[in-house]
Amino acid sequence: MLSHSMQRRAFLKTAPALALFAACTKSTRLKLALNWKPEPEFGGFYAAAYSKHGLALDILPGGTGTPTVQMVGAGSVDFGIVSADEIILARSHGNDVVALFAVFQDSPTGIMAHASRHLTSIGDVLKDGTLALESGLPFARLLKRKFGFSHVKIVPSPGGDITSFLHDEKFAQQCYLTSEPIAARRQGAAVKVFAVSEIGYDPYTTVLAVSGESLRKNPVRAQAMVTAVREGWQSYLDNPKAVNQQMHQLNPTMDLDTFAQVAEVQKPFIETDATRRNGLGTMSVQRWETLIAQFKELGDISQTIPAQECFRLL
Amino acid sequence: MKFLAPLVPLVLLTAISEFLVREGFVRAYLIPAPSDVFRAMIDSRLELAQALLSTSAGSLAGFSMSALTGIAIAVLLSSSRAVQRAFYPYAIFFQTVPLIAVAPLLVIWFGFGIQTVIASAFVASVFPVIANTLSGILSTDPPLRDLFKLYHASPLATLFKLRLPAALPQVFTGLRVSAGLAVIGAIVGEFIAGGGLGSVVEIARTQQRIDKVFAAVLLASLLGLGLFGLINLLSHLMLRRWHASEQPQ
Amino acid sequence: MTSTSRGVALQLEGVRRVFDNNRVVIAGMDLQIDPGEFLAVLGPSGCGKSTLLRMIARLSEPDSGHIRMQPDGEPFQTAFVFQDAHLLPWRDVLSNAALPLELMGEAKLTRLEKARAVLGQVGLLEALDRYPAELSGGMRMRVSLARALITEPRLLLLDEPFAALDEITRFHLDVQLRELWQGRGMTVIFVTHSVSEAAFLANRAVVLGGKGAAIQLDRRLELPAVRNNELRGDPRLGQEMRLLLGAIEE
Repeated sequence: MLSHSMQRRAFLKTAPALALFAACTKSTRLKLALNWKPEPEFGGFYAAAYSKHGLALDILPGGTGTPTVQMVGAGSVDFGIVSADEIILARSHGNDVVALFAVFQDSPTGIMAHASRHLTSIGDVLKDGTLALESGLPFARLLKRKFGFSHVKIVPSPGGDITSFLHDEKFAQQCYLTSEPIAARRQGAAVKVFAVSEIGYDPYTTVLAVSGESLRKNPVRAQAMVTAVREGWQSYLDNPKAVNQQMHQLNPTMDLDTFAQVAEVQKPFIETDATRRNGLGTMSVQRWETLIAQFKELGDISQTIPAQECFRLL
Repeated sequence: MKFLAPLVPLVLLTAISEFLVREGFVRAYLIPAPSDVFRAMIDSRLELAQALLSTSAGSLAGFSMSALTGIAIAVLLSSSRAVQRAFYPYAIFFQTVPLIAVAPLLVIWFGFGIQTVIASAFVASVFPVIANTLSGILSTDPPLRDLFKLYHASPLATLFKLRLPAALPQVFTGLRVSAGLAVIGAIVGEFIAGGGLGSVVEIARTQQRIDKVFAAVLLASLLGLGLFGLINLLSHLMLRRWHASEQPQ
Repeated sequence: MTSTSRGVALQLEGVRRVFDNNRVVIAGMDLQIDPGEFLAVLGPSGCGKSTLLRMIARLSEPDSGHIRMQPDGEPFQTAFVFQDAHLLPWRDVLSNAALPLELMGEAKLTRLEKARAVLGQVGLLEALDRYPAELSGGMRMRVSLARALITEPRLLLLDEPFAALDEITRFHLDVQLRELWQGRGMTVIFVTHSVSEAAFLANRAVVLGGKGAAIQLDRRLELPAVRNNELRGDPRLGQEMRLLLGAIEE
């Protein structure tokens, strides 16, 4: 049995060699980049049993402005969470990203306003007061085109923060219908929400994407990923409690009660007639074609891109 | 001829990156070709010009506040050891607080508009002025202080006739650092409160218009450079007759 | 000593100064200086000469003992010339020379007039609007001298003022200083570690040394009243220098 000091000397001698060895063996772990902090919208990804399908995968949480669609295209991550409109824009710029699995069948993007304003439709929000939007996004420009911004003050979206909303009755903001309204109600505000799909703009959201090159090189891996994810989502929909606990540890800014509430509220966006027919995460060529046409009309893309190239059902 | 020297690396870099993107070695959605950036500048020139004006106003206002307030605070801190010990840590606060965390708070307090941009520029740029001015005031030559003491000069006279003029070179050092930070602060403020080049960057980013992002960023850098140049000019005018930094070698 | 003596008399009684690390710099010095005397203070570096001078200037206080001045009513009768000129670099020569009067609150017109006059006495009338950075070391020192003299001090203290200058300039300034002293009659205390300079300038020399800056030698120099460059070759100067050097080397 080596003495303490001898053990320490032995370790110090071998440590540099070990470090070098560790650096040389390249990590073969896969990376999935999220576009927000761990929240119920990613529940199924945390619930998935990747190793069971032969995948060693790390999930990388994101935040405001995480450029997941560029990260996937550049190859710095293997998979990423994006939205369908991001994929269309990316492809039009030559970034070959392909959608594999659409968690949200309908866009949960919406606008949240104070109930006391007695607004009845999404257009009413633009009649006065302040509206916080990510004005670069396609739905924002569609709103502008349809209703005009001449009577409302447009300010940048606070990215999930509802402090300005709570302080000002005339303040409305872009939100995820599954998120900010719940937080606002917990703070005692009475809110009225409008889904952006009201104006006919309904991209798939929280979409699992992969680079075209990776898909061509390793279709088996992509298939395994989709299968794992689909099972994960089924598991999360049936019982979100354990995964919520896990995500709450990673994202303590949201408490467990809210996790539970949001997980419940988001179900109708995830499980629809289409998914009951074709499986969770399904996508249709018609939905993609509609979206592409909307982009063309907005002038964001100069040429139509083939809808079939945007997604792959595995 | 010496003015052309800094342009050489720029021309080289532009030519190399243009080549790399055009020939497909680097993907255009990651780094835009310089020609695309240039085209984006031309296409959006009105929007960019207006944004540049707005950011310039915000950063200049914030910077001016930093200059005046920073010097004033440094003078106050220099008045006594006790005052310094008590309050200097708070001045450091302005240096270390992550601006991107504070900016949303600024919006709550000041609202959406240029006032928040100015506040943000101020928070980002005030500390170097305080630190450098204080250092300059405190490092006055002891024999000169003895001289003033010998002639029974009042503390105020010593401050205005000796310590502040002696500190001027260091004040300018602080202002030089502060200028660039004011522009950064203004842009961060604009991310949150809207307007100016920050808003152009934010919107172009969500539109995946990376050429426009670069165009706006380039203009922001030029703004910082311009402000820096202005400080240098002022420094030259005020120090040229007496400070080693402005004397010919 | 000149007959029109406008200088102060000084008495140092038991002057003691101890620094923070308990080093006794000056251990109980007794010294009497007559009005109008030109006293050179010599000694090796670090022996306490500058400390003594600063105490006489009332820039610092002795730890025990007294320094008495007669007369002692006027507030601005002491002037100090430092080892470096220490001019305000952001002001021109004229306003640098006028600084003491400015700090005393004198009106601009009169103080600039007086500055012009005293700068004329040190031969700098052509440099009034120049800045210190544009001057040679010798010229800067002359401005410093002019600044010291502008208040017509009764006590002029100089702390190795010409040490950083070249020999030719030193010789010139030595002669100029001596002439200014003879014209005004103030008491001058000139700290130096140059034996030749002390012998040339002073009519009395004190050599400090050993622990606590003890007075090793206190001598009236036997030299003519008129000191000019011819004296430099005079054997009497050499004799005094040998005596002073001998006291330092002990």
